Amino acid sequence: MHKHRRRAVCSALLIAALAALGLAGSAQAKLVGEFTKFTNCPYTNANAIKCIYSVTESGEVVLGSKKVPIEKPVTLQGAYANPVEEKEGAEFYPFLAATNGITLSKAPQNVPGGLLGIIPEASQPALVKALIKFFFENSLTGVNSTLELAKPATDIRVSENNLAGEIGTALYMPVKVHLENPFLGKNCYVGSSTTPITWNLTTGTTAPPAPNKPITGSGGEGELLESARILKLNNNKLVDNAWSAPKAAGCGGILSFLIDPIINTQLGTLTAGHNSAELKGTLYQASAFAVNKINKENP
Amino acid sequence: MRRKATAIGAAFAALAVLCAMFATAASATPAWKFESKSLEGTEVVLGAAIDSSLTIPGLTTKCANFLYKVTIKNEAGTGKGEVTEVPLYNCTTDQPEVCTVGSIGAEKLPWPVKLTTVSTSNYIVIEGVKVAIKYAGIECALGGVTVNVTGTAGGIVDNATETATFNSTTFGATGTELRALATKILWTGVFPTEAFQWHREQPLSVS
Repeated sequence: MHKHRRRAVCSALLIAALAALGLAGSAQAKLVGEFTKFTNCPYTNANAIKCIYSVTESGEVVLGSKKVPIEKPVTLQGAYANPVEEKEGAEFYPFLAATNGITLSKAPQNVPGGLLGIIPEASQPALVKALIKFFFENSLTGVNSTLELAKPATDIRVSENNLAGEIGTALYMPVKVHLENPFLGKNCYVGSSTTPITWNLTTGTTAPPAPNKPITGSGGEGELLESARILKLNNNKLVDNAWSAPKAAGCGGILSFLIDPIINTQLGTLTAGHNSAELKGTLYQASAFAVNKINKENP
Repeated sequence: MRRKATAIGAAFAALAVLCAMFATAASATPAWKFESKSLEGTEVVLGAAIDSSLTIPGLTTKCANFLYKVTIKNEAGTGKGEVTEVPLYNCTTDQPEVCTVGSIGAEKLPWPVKLTTVSTSNYIVIEGVKVAIKYAGIECALGGVTVNVTGTAGGIVDNATETATFNSTTFGATGTELRALATKILWTGVFPTEAFQWHREQPLSVS
């Protein structure tokens, strides 16, 4: 009798466990096809309008006298949301952070010349170039620069009409540049949450102060995927060369009072007209409603 | 002596053939004609596209009512004119459950028009085209976005059917293109060329 009861309880528990697993399985909806790019989009947020997944594959950031080519992909992902804001005759939407917390991926880019800023001449032999790279861009002397958001993702603004129309600011983004090297410590930054570098990126033409000259971006070649639910912009180019940057700070830890001036001498003039950002890549955009629907339809 | 005369004769004949060839190539100045007579003054062409569609890769837009008003004239023997009105109504997409056309309208009118000859065919070239399309739809990737179609369009004129046809071949022949979202797009359409003012019911031709 006792044995029977125990067996019945065990069976009931097993059924309950299996049912729980089954339910868990059915609740695990998923995105399919091109929609998988929007896995980290906050599409269940009622305010989300469009999901964005933008990968910068190349380009460069010029910070004073330092030119840093973008060699490792940088991803911006999340959504833009209501309420809409009118500014300079365009509609701007605030941004919602990616659900995995990585709205702007941290991709350390090599700073040519490293700590000492020694860059070989283009005409120099390959061996000399390799030796300079070996000595001045190794783990001790090399410097990486990583682009980071200086403020919460909600401070980013997007104008999709300016993005598509190749006019005005398409993407407003407050950023800071993290300079990394064993001697610079962990807190060497150009820009901060209180004094961010403000990028007003455009797919149109910039109007920078001298000595910079106007540069032109591109909305990219558009194509619609997944029955017009996803817009893909190939060869998208966002540019801004009218921004200023604050001086580097926090370099060298407790020796920052000594190191900061050295780094700032290396960087040169950081006022507007001396810096530039050219971000080239592929941008995907989809209706948050469509992404949510696809997710629900694919258990 | 006779051989020399023959050689000179042959040279003149070759020259004549060359002149004729250049004359054909240089006849890139076709004019508007009514009943084989060159149009004097101006005339108004009114019509509705028989079939027209505009394709951004992945999305085609059609308008059931694609009307147009073109003022035509000849200037120094060459057909010219301008598109003055392009009302567009009842526009839909080939993904109607996803994207609808919220609004559509021709902008920066009038658009200059000129006739040109490529090889032996006559073409109408419309410059400064600008059409703004605002798509709608909660699932549409372009929902809320204004897509501007801009550029130059070249279509072949068929005197027999009194129509101008625009497609990828005519755009290629005239070296014209329309762009939207920074992408070359495809515009196809057949447009009757019927006079509506002084030469009503007279056949319009281009030569």
